[in-house]
Amino acid sequence: MLIMIAVASVSMAGGPTEAIRETTDKIIAILTDPSLKGPDQEPERARQIRKAVDERFDWEEMSMRTLARHWKDRSQSERSEFIRLFGSLLERTYLEKVESYSGEKVLYGDEKVEGDYGLVTVKIITKQDTEIQVQYRLKTKGAAWLVYDISIEGVSLVNNYRKQFSSILARSSYNDLVEKLRSKVEGKE
Amino acid sequence: MTGLTPFKRDRFLVVPVKLLIWLTTLISLLVMTALADAAGGGPGLSTLETSILARETEAHELIRLAYSETQTAERNPQKERSPQEVKETGNEGTPLGADPWGDEEVSVDSIPDPLEPMNRAFFVFNDKLYFWFFKPVGTGYKMVVPEVGRICIRNFFTNLIMPIRAISCILQGKFEGFGIELIRFVVNSTAGFLGFQDVARDALNYPIQDEDLGQVLAFYGIGPGLYLNLPFLGASSLRDTAGWVGELYLNPLDYMVSDFWPNVGFRSFDVVNKTSMRIGEYEALKKAALDPYVAMRDAYYQYRLNQIEK
Repeated sequence: MLIMIAVASVSMAGGPTEAIRETTDKIIAILTDPSLKGPDQEPERARQIRKAVDERFDWEEMSMRTLARHWKDRSQSERSEFIRLFGSLLERTYLEKVESYSGEKVLYGDEKVEGDYGLVTVKIITKQDTEIQVQYRLKTKGAAWLVYDISIEGVSLVNNYRKQFSSILARSSYNDLVEKLRSKVEGKE
Repeated sequence: MTGLTPFKRDRFLVVPVKLLIWLTTLISLLVMTALADAAGGGPGLSTLETSILARETEAHELIRLAYSETQTAERNPQKERSPQEVKETGNEGTPLGADPWGDEEVSVDSIPDPLEPMNRAFFVFNDKLYFWFFKPVGTGYKMVVPEVGRICIRNFFTNLIMPIRAISCILQGKFEGFGIELIRFVVNSTAGFLGFQDVARDALNYPIQDEDLGQVLAFYGIGPGLYLNLPFLGASSLRDTAGWVGELYLNPLDYMVSDFWPNVGFRSFDVVNKTSMRIGEYEALKKAALDPYVAMRDAYYQYRLNQIEK
């Protein structure tokens, strides 16, 4: 027990790569845990992964960056509703991605740190023998490094959503955007 | 005797058609570039060369500037905040802080899409084509051919189009990449059983050089022009379509199998094989996106920028 606490505190004090490694290892452990195998364990598996992801991802920062200049026009309640909706959409997307995990290799590459910001490059070798480059952008919040953007093969998630949101906002209203987001999250669409 | 006639006919038919497509695309690309330059108050078509030169010096200037900025940012990471960033976030109250590996430039500009109605129509077409044809065929194929076999077939086609990558390397002055591609081709075609195995990467650590003619055009300062979503081909740009047409001449398959239908057969086989490995990706994009068309357009743009940078 003591050792586990010691290990945990070491990784907290570590850099952004350690942060990513910790969360990745945690999720892989959940996905490969034999007691969590099978479709009947799916809700419990999802709950645990969601928890691990929540600890590492900064949904507020992500929401802020995707709404960009539209963020400041939003009231406090609008903001928290947006964070909740956008967060659960991303979480669901992420969950579906990792659910299909089947022993892909994760290789840790360069790490860059500048002040509060960190950039971690990871290579994923798929079962089909292709390499996928993933970059995590992190920012310190208190003692922890939190992820605020993921780029897959150079395609940044935040930028991609920002384009979609601004395109929707240019044609219609914020309420419409939130409605679209809500129906996505609730799986109506 | 009879076997030769269709060969000749097809060859005579295919070459001028290809040439026509290539020329039309190239001309429209040049006109687009010229128009874009004229709109920006820049030089026209006649001074294209000087404009490329000017862009090159401009690019060097930008790199120098960016470098010195990074250095200042390193010394003073918190205070550095470009006006662009403030404008983009528009959030002075709760500053986001500069993103040191800023995508801010990328996020501000995006690919022009004046043909959006047409593109959206083709997007719907491709969507149906995928769900009604390629996905069922790919799924069936996947059930019949084991994964190892599909990887080998993919490797074979990848190895075959080595000239595209090699020439693209040379045209960008990437001589090391050119050499790697040549060695890869020799090694994989022999020790790798006609390219079915990528031994050059696995044993010699010579990775594939991800270069194409679209990237070559970008290297010489040609922008994407405008976004295109083409039937069957999907997301592209004017520049990358020109590159793709040029690549038709560098694809050995067209010289080895020059009869029309067998050629189409091989190409479709390649596409189905590749599709079988990517089932689920498009569905995931659609499911995660609020506007799949815009999501695809931006993903294509960002993906190409990343490729060009390398």
